[in-house]
Amino acid sequence: MDIVVCVKPVPEAETRLRASSDGSKLDPEAVKFVLAGYDESAVEQALLLKETVPGSKVHVISFGPAPRTEEVLRASIALGCDQATWIEASPQAPNDPLLAARALARAIAVVHYDLVLCGKQAGDDEAGLVAAAVGELLGVPDFGYVVNLRWDAGRSRFTFRRITETGEESWEAAPPCVIGLQQAWNDPRTAKLPAILKSRKAQIARVPPDASTSPASSVPERFELPAPRSGAKFIEYKTPEEAATKLVRILREEAKVFP
Amino acid sequence: MSGRVLLVAEMHDARLSEATLEAVGKARELGGSDGVVGFVAGSSEAAAVELARYGVSEVRWAKDPRLDVAPLGAICPLIVAVAGEIDADLVLVGGTTFGRDLVGHLAARGSAAAATGVTEVGRVEGGLRVRRPIFGGRATETRRLQGGHAVLALRPHAFPVPEETPVPLHLEMVEVGEIPEVWLSPKRLGIEAASSGTGPGLIDASIVVSGGRGVRAPENFHLVEELAASLGAAVGASRAVTDAGWRPGSLQVGQTGKAVSPQLYVAVGISGAIQHIVGMISSRVIVAINSDSSAPIFKVADYGIVGDLFQIVPALTSEIRRVRGR
Repeated sequence: MDIVVCVKPVPEAETRLRASSDGSKLDPEAVKFVLAGYDESAVEQALLLKETVPGSKVHVISFGPAPRTEEVLRASIALGCDQATWIEASPQAPNDPLLAARALARAIAVVHYDLVLCGKQAGDDEAGLVAAAVGELLGVPDFGYVVNLRWDAGRSRFTFRRITETGEESWEAAPPCVIGLQQAWNDPRTAKLPAILKSRKAQIARVPPDASTSPASSVPERFELPAPRSGAKFIEYKTPEEAATKLVRILREEAKVFP
Repeated sequence: MSGRVLLVAEMHDARLSEATLEAVGKARELGGSDGVVGFVAGSSEAAAVELARYGVSEVRWAKDPRLDVAPLGAICPLIVAVAGEIDADLVLVGGTTFGRDLVGHLAARGSAAAATGVTEVGRVEGGLRVRRPIFGGRATETRRLQGGHAVLALRPHAFPVPEETPVPLHLEMVEVGEIPEVWLSPKRLGIEAASSGTGPGLIDASIVVSGGRGVRAPENFHLVEELAASLGAAVGASRAVTDAGWRPGSLQVGQTGKAVSPQLYVAVGISGAIQHIVGMISSRVIVAINSDSSAPIFKVADYGIVGDLFQIVPALTSEIRRVRGR
């Protein structure tokens, strides 16, 4: 099975966020970039499928600027992906999910694939648009918010569940399809040192930025951090009942969260 | 931009979803009195009837039972065609799983600007300006959408459900035509109610009560569930709880779980690892109950109770039942 995984570098969760000097976006200086959480899950899912389906190959693709994009691709290779493609974005290119989806779809359209895996959303812009947009651009069915993805070899079908507001749907779909994964693995694999060293020398296919790309349709204007929360107002009490009465009164009269 | 707004309706349990109603309110504001057109797909016209109750008179209906469950690729070209026909410069949809995926499709197919999770939107010279929380609510971005066409999914609960203002329904059918086999071959085999049981879905809920490691054992988790029930809230959990298998992973709130933004979030026995914080920090009001006064959760909470949750939570549950008269 040929599996393509789309990944994105995002700031590490613990990173202190700061606005760029013009105030329009995140200042990427001094930020450590890592594989987005759900994308890491997508890589793990691809590698699990590879282990169960003989002859599988995992091709990881990313669109973004140097050096962070190349770094997450090498990290994916260290985890066990077989092949990597880096579509270079100019450092000036705005963070626009549709721009990314078009670049990814163009690169995927020229390779053979049975499955395209994406994380359901990246933890930075949280747009969650790439899987659906890539599916639309490739003209193959896409499914978002997926968990429990399996390959039914006997029937040549993927089976999976989708978590929506109304419940859990179970589906089956023939390849090729695009999946936006919502799986959270409790213990995704980590790269071993020899694999990390080897990944530094791995060949990464580079696709230059597409000059013909239409200008971004969505431009960030301002990046704001919330005023720091002042910390909890502690409720003084002598008995649990007093604590409960005081809290409920505050929630009704001060915070007005219920009547 | 000052064109018309196409509003795509979604049904939950035979009614318009709350997210759709929130979008109706915003569409009426942005599109003006006769500037909003509704779009409904599937076998039922109930959504169209309900749209008219909320002031949307003109509704297009792609009547075809296959569209009830078909992948979005089947519906997307119909919506793009209607948007073109009515000369809409904005397609608006509620911020559900359906809505967010649909925005990806429509933006890709219609070469439109797109944004999801929108908490503010207004028309500006040459386009729209939107605001949306990013980084799990740790930052907010303002974006300008340009190029003449935009597709937006609103963040759930960010906008009020409008008052009912019934108008006569003008229903017009949309020619569905051939649906390519590629969209019909995937099969939805079934649907089960969310595993959290009777309460509202975690993402949609206006109140969420979550339990963490402080609950100590799975047999104590009923304390969290009873508090949630008294508030009509959804139940959530920290990663410690779902990793330990006390509750299913679908209840996990956090970076690798669900991001929630309810009116009220109650954290019971949760210390407040950043992993968890990013999933709930955009809640309007946060209450924390924890035995450790130095727990990081108190830094992001609005109100805190330091104490033994095994005493505080039952007292709180009975007080809430008392004031709500149940």
